[in-house]
Formats: sequence, C-alpha cells, structure tokens
Amino acid sequence: MFAFIVKRLLAGLLVLSTLVVSIFLLFWYGPRSPVQGLCEQRTNNRCTADFRAQLEENFGYNNPMLSELGKYVAGIFTGRDIQLGANTFVECSAPCLGLSYRTFVPAFDELVRRLPATISLAVGAAVIILLVGVTSGVLAARRRGTVADKALVSATLLMSSIPYVLFALLVYLYLNVINEVFPEAGYTPLTENPVAWLSGLLLPWLALGFYNSTQYTRFSRGAMIDALSEDYIRTARAKGLSSRTVTFKHGLRSALVPIVTIFGIDFAFLLAGTIFTEIIFGINGIGRWGLEAIQIEDFPVVQTTVLFGAIVVIVANIVVDILYGVLDPRVRIS
Amino acid sequence: MTLPQAEVQTQSTEPPGAPQSAPKAIAGKSPTRIAFDRLRRDWLAMASLLVVLVFAVIAVFAGAIANLFGVSLETPLASERINLISQLPLEGPPFGGFDPEHPFGVAPRVGTDNLAVWLYGARTSMIIAASAAVLSTVVGVIVGLLAGYLGGVVDRVLMFVTDLFLTIPFLLAALALAPILSDRFGTDPQRLGEIQFYSVIAVLTLFGWMTMARLIRGEVLSLREREFVQAARAIGVPTHRILRKEILPNLVAPIVVAFSLALPAYVAAEAGLSYLGIGVVDRPSWGQTVAGAVQWFDVYPQYLWQPVIGIVLLVIALNLLGDAIRDALDPKTRR
Repeated sequence: MFAFIVKRLLAGLLVLSTLVVSIFLLFWYGPRSPVQGLCEQRTNNRCTADFRAQLEENFGYNNPMLSELGKYVAGIFTGRDIQLGANTFVECSAPCLGLSYRTFVPAFDELVRRLPATISLAVGAAVIILLVGVTSGVLAARRRGTVADKALVSATLLMSSIPYVLFALLVYLYLNVINEVFPEAGYTPLTENPVAWLSGLLLPWLALGFYNSTQYTRFSRGAMIDALSEDYIRTARAKGLSSRTVTFKHGLRSALVPIVTIFGIDFAFLLAGTIFTEIIFGINGIGRWGLEAIQIEDFPVVQTTVLFGAIVVIVANIVVDILYGVLDPRVRIS
Repeated sequence: MTLPQAEVQTQSTEPPGAPQSAPKAIAGKSPTRIAFDRLRRDWLAMASLLVVLVFAVIAVFAGAIANLFGVSLETPLASERINLISQLPLEGPPFGGFDPEHPFGVAPRVGTDNLAVWLYGARTSMIIAASAAVLSTVVGVIVGLLAGYLGGVVDRVLMFVTDLFLTIPFLLAALALAPILSDRFGTDPQRLGEIQFYSVIAVLTLFGWMTMARLIRGEVLSLREREFVQAARAIGVPTHRILRKEILPNLVAPIVVAFSLALPAYVAAEAGLSYLGIGVVDRPSWGQTVAGAVQWFDVYPQYLWQPVIGIVLLVIALNLLGDAIRDALDPKTRR
C-alpha cells in the first residue's frame, strides 16, 4: 500500500511538472506579443511599438526562454521580486505565479482571495448532488422496473441532454430576473454575513446541484442494483433483517464505494471550472476571474487559473486512488 | 429452453442454395443487418433520426430555405426595422403579432432577420460539431490503435499524454487557448473571423479525443491476442495492414457509438464557448445569439428562445439517437 502511494504521488508529480512547463511554453510562444494586452491597457488602446518593446524588455521576454522558465519555477518555490519599471519592483512571495497585468498584484494572492467563492459554490452544489442523486438512485433501484423508476431514469436522461449553460441561464432568468422566486444570486463571504452567503448562493447551488445530480441518479441506481444482487444481500434477507437495513446498511455501503470515487473527480472539476455558474449568477470566483483575464489578455492570470484547475484535478485523482484502496478491502489486497 | 430470436439468426449459417424445405426458413443475417433492423423497430430512434435529418437539411440548404421564406442575413438599414429609442423591432414580436416578412421577427438593435440568423446558425453549429467529432475520432482512433497494439514505450507515452489532457479542465483550457490560436494565426485582419472558426474546431478536437483513445486502446488490447490477428502476424502481414484490415473493422461498432454520442456534446460545447465570447464571430451561430439575447430577455424572450430550442432539440435528438445506436449494436441488450 505504501509503495502504491509513493508510486502514485511520483506519477502525479510528473504530470504536474509537465503541465507547469507546457503551460509556460504555451504562453511564451503562443501569443505574438505576450504584453500586447498590457500595453493597450497602459496606453488606453494606443499601444506603440516602442512602448511594447519596453514592456517586453521589462517583463523579461527578451531574455532566453529557459532562464525565464527557471525564474518562474524558482519563484513558485522561493518567491521573487518582479521588475515593473526601471526602479520599481513588486515583491511576489512564494508560491509566486507571476503578477496580474491588470492590477500588478501577485496572481496567487488574488487566487486565494477568490477561492472562498468558488469553494462555497462547489461544496454546496456537491452536497445537493450527493443528496439528490444518491437518494433518487437508491429509491429507483428499490423500485426497479416500475413506472416511477422508468420515469425517473428518462427524466434524468432528458435533463442531462440540455446543455448546462442554457439550463443555468434559463434558471437564472426565470427564477431570479423575471420572477424573483429566489433571493438575488451573488456571493457574500460567509464570515461577513452568513445569511446573505446562504441566500445568495441558494439558486446557483440548486442549479449546479440538480443538473449534475442526474448522472448520479443513474450511476447510483446501477451500483445499487449490482450491490442488491450480491449473495450477501440474499443472506441478509434470509436471516430476517428488515428491508431497510438490508438496503441501506448492506447494499448502499458497498454501492457507495464506486460513487465516492467518481464523485472525487467530479468535485475536482467543480472546483476547477464552475465558469458558467459563476458568470451567469455573478459570483466572483476563479472561473470568472479567468474569463475576465482572457478578455484583456492578462496572461499570467490565465496561466494561474489553468494551472490551479489542473492541480486540483491531479490531487483529486491521487486522493481517489488512495481512498479506493482504503474503502474497498478487495483492492487493498490485490 | 428457447434461444432469443436474434441469436438464432446470428448463429445460422445456411449454405447457399440449400433446400428450402423447412416450414420457416431461417435467413442468415449479418450483425449490421440485425442492428439496423433493431434500430428501425425503435420508434424513438426513428423520431430522433427524423429530427436530426431535418436539422441536417436545414444546415445544408440554409441559404435556399432562407430564400424560400424571403429572408436574408443582410439588413438594408437598421432604422427601417428598429425603433431607435427602445432599440426594439417596429413590427412583429415582441409587441406586434406575426410578421410574414420576418417569421421569427427581427433582432433588437441591429434589425437582422432572426429566421435567417437561426438557419445559418444551425449550419455553423452542425459544421463545427461534425468537424470536431470527425477530427477527434480520427485522432482518438489512431492514438488508441497505436497505444493498444504496439504497447511498451509507445503505449506508456501515449497514455501519459492522454492522462495529461484529461487532467486539464476543458473550459479553462479552451479559454486560454482559443485567443492564443486566433492571435497567432490571425495576422490578416480580414481572415481573423475564419481563423477563429478553425480555432474553435481545433480547441474542441484537442480536448475531445481522449475518451475515444482510451476506449479504442482497451478494445485493441483484447483484439490483438485473438487468433486471427496472431495468424496474420504469423504469415508476416505488416503492422499497418494488420491495424487497417484486421483490427479496425472490428472496432466499427464502438467507434460509431462513441462518435454519435460525441456529436451532441460538441453542439453543446460550441454553444457554451460562444456564450463565453470565444466562439465564432464571422458567421451567425446559435451560441452567439443566446449570448446576445440575454440582455433583451425581459422584453423580448422569443429572441432567446429561438436558438435555445434549436440547440436543445438537436442535442436531445442526437443523444437519443446515439443511445439507440448503442443499444442496437450491443448484442447483450434486449428490449
């Protein structure tokens, strides 16, 4: 088990370092001029070639690529001072992911500042996904083959056929703009005002949660049907346990293993990219930050958001792999 | 014990010209034939196919259909159709009734005809989805074939790349990549729109081939140990020929299924990208209309609903069709 964890961590580290380098290269060689957006913004859209050249010089784009990559990677571990003008430096402490071209604040600091909004959104949605998805899946599995079961499965299929962006948009327009059924969506920090936090996130949670719960309904229904057809379930029934105990204590417990592992990955993707939800419901999280950065070609910020998303997914993959062994004794032995 | 009908049919190998003395002759049917027959009996699949075909016809003949209704993308002068103060259409929806000149009404502010935009938008959506699906299928099949058949270092490298791409969240990466692609290749401002169109397809392909690659690799891993492949190898058939003539024909079913389920995903993804403002710009697209219609929604909801209905109907029909094809090709499912 220990060897497995070490191996898994090393593989994750390899993926991560490949990503850091390739994302750096993408933004180094990708755009024709990486500072074009910055230049336009500093000069009110009257960027001159001279000024752009000066900015390129200041931000190190005239230095060899490898030395700048070295500085970037070193900055992640030790932090560094970034030169802005001739004599102006900005201190960027570790982990330094560069400065935002718009605000000249270290991108990592801004990331941390916006993280609570995204985490609140993802956690709340995750609770709904699991509650609604697993409950309805278990209920459908217990009534397998009935009209209610079939209706539920077709309803989830139909719902997941609607593109999420349209679903969220219509939910927002109909339940928040036209009819003010729900309190106005938005994000208030939990520490500032818990009631506003809850009411502002209620509709985004419901939209994100219900939409994504559909696949969990189908998935947990399948897992539950598999679990309920095992021999030990028959044994449990034969020794006279109540149907409820059999379903929840014996059946659900083993059905939950695959659900939890898939959920780990999905939760990571929720954290990494709730862009549509954040934009439609006006939540100042990481996804919205990334989109705004793209519009003004604030490349260090874009780089940071992509890196953040990838790291979350990599970590989740490792955690899930390890957790799988812990949850399922059969995996641990083999 | 009676065998299910389809199995009896697949297993019957009646020699040609056999005496037809049996009271009920058993006809030999190829697996494809069986799949088609099952598909034809599935009314939901046929209804979805009809919807998809209608959309395909709309996409191919968008110009002709627009002419038929007497509408076009060109606007003579916005002030002829638009109230300059409210910026809403003078005739037709949202306030007026049905306007035969513009069956879907006209767009607020710019005054272009909604039906024409909708028709050409269908074309854009379907071209992008189909090209991305074809390209990602080709890439995925090639990667999967090579990784699965060659094994060893090739397999490890290709799977590492596949896993690498799977860890990158699609939307964030698309957001980062699409502007870079259009900036890098869009040196000629006149061709910028065209470049953006191709960069959308490129981004969708780049982040869409991995599931296909994994699927194909898994299938190839089991196929390459089968006797007919070993026999081919034994008589010295070159690898590329084994891949093309021995293995690929056996992968048609999973490829068709994965392809038909990828199509709706790309239609939805294109709409999503357009909504975020990184979709196509030089031609109408449904996602673009949706993004533009949101701010008019409270007074002019029809303007938003037209593209929404188009997207939802197409995606649902494609999904149902894909599911039906999967069921029809899978000998294990019986309905």
